[in-house]
Amino acid sequence: MTPKTLRPARRSAGLLPYLLIAPALGLLAATLVIPIVSAVDISLHDIRVIGAAGPFSGADNYLRVLADPTFWAALGTSAVWVVGNALVQTLLAVIAALVLDQRFPGVRIARVWIILTWIVPTVVIVIIWRWLLSPSGGLVNPLLIQLGLIDRPVGFFASGPMAMTSLILINSWRWFPFVAVMLLAALQRIPADVYEAAAVDGANPLQRFFAITWPLLKPTLLVLTVMGTLLSFNVFDVIWLLTAGGPAGATRTLPVLIYETAFKAYRMGDAAAMSVIASLLMIGLAVMLLETLAPKEKRS
Amino acid sequence: MSLKPTLLAGALALAGAFGAAPSYAQTEVKLWHMEQPPHRVARIQELIDAFNAANPDIKVVQEPQSWDQVYAKVPAAIAAGNPPDMLFAIPDFTTVVRKVDQLESVADFVKELDAEHGFVPAAVEPYSYDGGVWAVPLYNMALSLWYNKKMLDDAGVAPPKTWSEWKAAAQTLSKDGIVGVGLPANKQLYTDQTTYAVMVNNGASDLFNADGSIAFDNEKTVGAYDFYKDLYQYSSPDAANWTWGEAEACFSSETCAMILQFTVISTYDAQGGGDAANLGVAPVPHADDQADSSTIAYSNGVMFLSKDPAKREASKKFIRFLLQPDNYGKFLTMEPGLFLPVTKDGAAAGTFWSDPLVVKYKSQVEQMIKNADRGMLFGFTGGHVFPAIGAISAQNMLAETLQKVVINGSDAATAVKEGAAAMTEATK
Amino acid sequence: MKRGLAGTAALLLGLLVLALVVLFPMWAVLSSSIKLPREIIHRIPTYFPKSFTLQHYQKLLATSDFPAYFGNSLVVALLSAAITVALATLAGYAFFRLEFRGRELIYRMVMVAYAFPSIVILIPIYLMFAKLGLIDTRTALVIVNVTFALPFSIWMMRTFFAALPHELEEAAAIDGASLFETARYVLVPLLGPGMASIAVFAFVSSWTEYLFASVLILSDAKRTIPVGLSGIIGQYQIDWGLLLAGASLSILPVVVFFAFVGRFFVSGLTEGAVK
Repeated sequence: MTPKTLRPARRSAGLLPYLLIAPALGLLAATLVIPIVSAVDISLHDIRVIGAAGPFSGADNYLRVLADPTFWAALGTSAVWVVGNALVQTLLAVIAALVLDQRFPGVRIARVWIILTWIVPTVVIVIIWRWLLSPSGGLVNPLLIQLGLIDRPVGFFASGPMAMTSLILINSWRWFPFVAVMLLAALQRIPADVYEAAAVDGANPLQRFFAITWPLLKPTLLVLTVMGTLLSFNVFDVIWLLTAGGPAGATRTLPVLIYETAFKAYRMGDAAAMSVIASLLMIGLAVMLLETLAPKEKRS
Repeated sequence: MSLKPTLLAGALALAGAFGAAPSYAQTEVKLWHMEQPPHRVARIQELIDAFNAANPDIKVVQEPQSWDQVYAKVPAAIAAGNPPDMLFAIPDFTTVVRKVDQLESVADFVKELDAEHGFVPAAVEPYSYDGGVWAVPLYNMALSLWYNKKMLDDAGVAPPKTWSEWKAAAQTLSKDGIVGVGLPANKQLYTDQTTYAVMVNNGASDLFNADGSIAFDNEKTVGAYDFYKDLYQYSSPDAANWTWGEAEACFSSETCAMILQFTVISTYDAQGGGDAANLGVAPVPHADDQADSSTIAYSNGVMFLSKDPAKREASKKFIRFLLQPDNYGKFLTMEPGLFLPVTKDGAAAGTFWSDPLVVKYKSQVEQMIKNADRGMLFGFTGGHVFPAIGAISAQNMLAETLQKVVINGSDAATAVKEGAAAMTEATK
Repeated sequence: MKRGLAGTAALLLGLLVLALVVLFPMWAVLSSSIKLPREIIHRIPTYFPKSFTLQHYQKLLATSDFPAYFGNSLVVALLSAAITVALATLAGYAFFRLEFRGRELIYRMVMVAYAFPSIVILIPIYLMFAKLGLIDTRTALVIVNVTFALPFSIWMMRTFFAALPHELEEAAAIDGASLFETARYVLVPLLGPGMASIAVFAFVSSWTEYLFASVLILSDAKRTIPVGLSGIIGQYQIDWGLLLAGASLSILPVVVFFAFVGRFFVSGLTEGAVK
């Protein structure tokens, strides 16, 4: 690593860094900050259908939302959804990354094509799984029957727990390869001589994994966990198109509830209030994860 | 770029697609509808092309939308000042649009069309309230009981007329992987419809009292939910996730022996073998103590959202054109057997009855039209319409109540009480 | 390192499971899209088609504007990718190469952009775009897609810059190269693989985006594949053959695309900027 005094930070020719980040920041400000300010504004008004005017109502919407058990139920469902996705995706991704980190014939091809599921549009994923899992015509039920795992067709969305499990698996199916490739990238940056030194020291593979691989993977895994948490919390389309939050509200996460409140119940003000609360929660969560989990590393 | 208008509709459509503007002033009117399957879009385009060719001063363009998104899109488009000029709608959606937009009543226009074509009164009714008529009825849809004749014959079961016959039939048919009766339990419009179809057959048709309070919580409703739960045990394991399409697929693949559906004709014909003699259709069975069957029926209509008089006039001209019996028959048969006529001369239109699928399934189509006669729509019965029906319908409260009963195993009386409370909340 | 027998067995098992999980659904979709309708919905499914037909593809191409959807998706995704790479590289240089006041804070603010549910900004964005006349334009989609790809892309930039020795720029500076020349002749070529990764990331994000495309686009001619495809799912009937053909046709182009650029994406990530 270059000593600090030699870093080309001297090039900080005054305005240059600001000019460089200006386009990116400008875009984010225009497309995120302005809409969020307007959402806050809506949340303070009693607005029903979007576009209709409504009187200023102060904190009424927030109080009503916080007193509504449906809101807390959705928050709980979101927590299950986020944790479930994090666990399944991390587990699958770590395994896949470790497999792909090995040397074997065809590994280059495998490393590229593992990501296949990630490049499939959500709508297509919904079509694929709705069809595969349907007892009339789908392939999964007959396959499981043939393998002797079940003896009659299962309704994969028939009960709350089943629907939630199916959704988490489908969403993870889409995302784990992406996480795996990110992890693989981190693995590949571990110099081979570190492993060799450990092997000489007589460490077994498991010890090597926990002594070397794991600590070096952690920073990447941390960022992926934080981003993954935020991204999966925000997932709406897969849930909406597959279960619409059902059955009986079992998969109604917060984004689904926000959508329903805004466009089905026509309570825009309440939906905006929920959004603001959700955003604050997410920011808090992200900061907390970064603060508590992050090793105090320095930037390059 | 300027092109001489030709009489060829195709060339005009092509020119339209490339943004060519004829050399004189033209009124462009935008039509939004939710008939998104490609063959329906194509049929509507044919009619639009013919209309545009005959009226060079008007250009109608269609932008198909999906029901999933339109509840968000239309209010947003109105708020942003770029709504469509014509919007196809169902009665409860009309109440939502009226909340965001000042609509002009089309009572006079409906009267004019009625004089010429003779509307079925039941089709106009759900749009007539608050001293106006808010949409022009265009087509009707009604739920029927569809059954596979051979499967019923093989099991020695007659088409059920009453609830006890229905349940017995479902029970007998359910064996060897066969689904006796495919009933959905999704929190979705289809389930609202099947639930209501069961409710009306127990005499529980009114959601509102005359004063606007909720009339949902009563014995008849509870009885209907109890019966639905009884039947649901013979439905498919994935019925909690069904929309119309799954039910049709189940029926066409001969997995389901009976389903409740508006039509299965085109799917059955394309995917299910297409033996017309084997396709049975009957009224939805009624409770044993009821005299006759009823069903749920949707009168679909078109709303005029434009404020510009020229565009309104052009829109009206297009609808006049559409309701001419010859065009109207073509329009209805964009999905043969699904869309039923709402005008008297339309019901006799040659282009309707000469459609190949209608010819092939004539007896079924006639039965469907008959079933539609006793159709009602939740929230639009009893001569009163209350705006809360928009939110009740959009949130699928009938279906949500059903899910509590059949999936969570709640007691029907408790679930209905909770449903009524949620509906009351929506009226506030 | 040598693998033992157990290691090889574990590796093979892992590979087999991965292949099955990723490829089986894809195979099922592709192979069923050429079956006759009756075989698709038959109660006893076939893993290898017994019938062969292209009717679903013919129907798809004849009755929907699939080529137009495809073109729109492609244009939007390519533009989104190009703009994302440009903005992320500029911002990445500032964040990871230059010192400036507020760097840490701004960097963190960019990263929490994902904390806002997209549902939240959907309607305000619609109203804002309506005022700007951007509704029903592909530009609107590009703007939204870049916004959502940007924070993660900037984070990815960090590793690429980290792998790039500072000495290179210093040497260039000593040789009297201007900042622009350094960027042009030193940074861009070396960051190339990293930029390719970001481009693919942004491309795929845009290619798969559904929610905003479904609300911001009104006319059929401007729809992207996800929205166009959701349209033919249909409200009242499901034509699985048509849908599976649509699914196959929307997967295949990305597969072809990925066959060319996939290795850059993965190697850009895994090998860092400097080899």
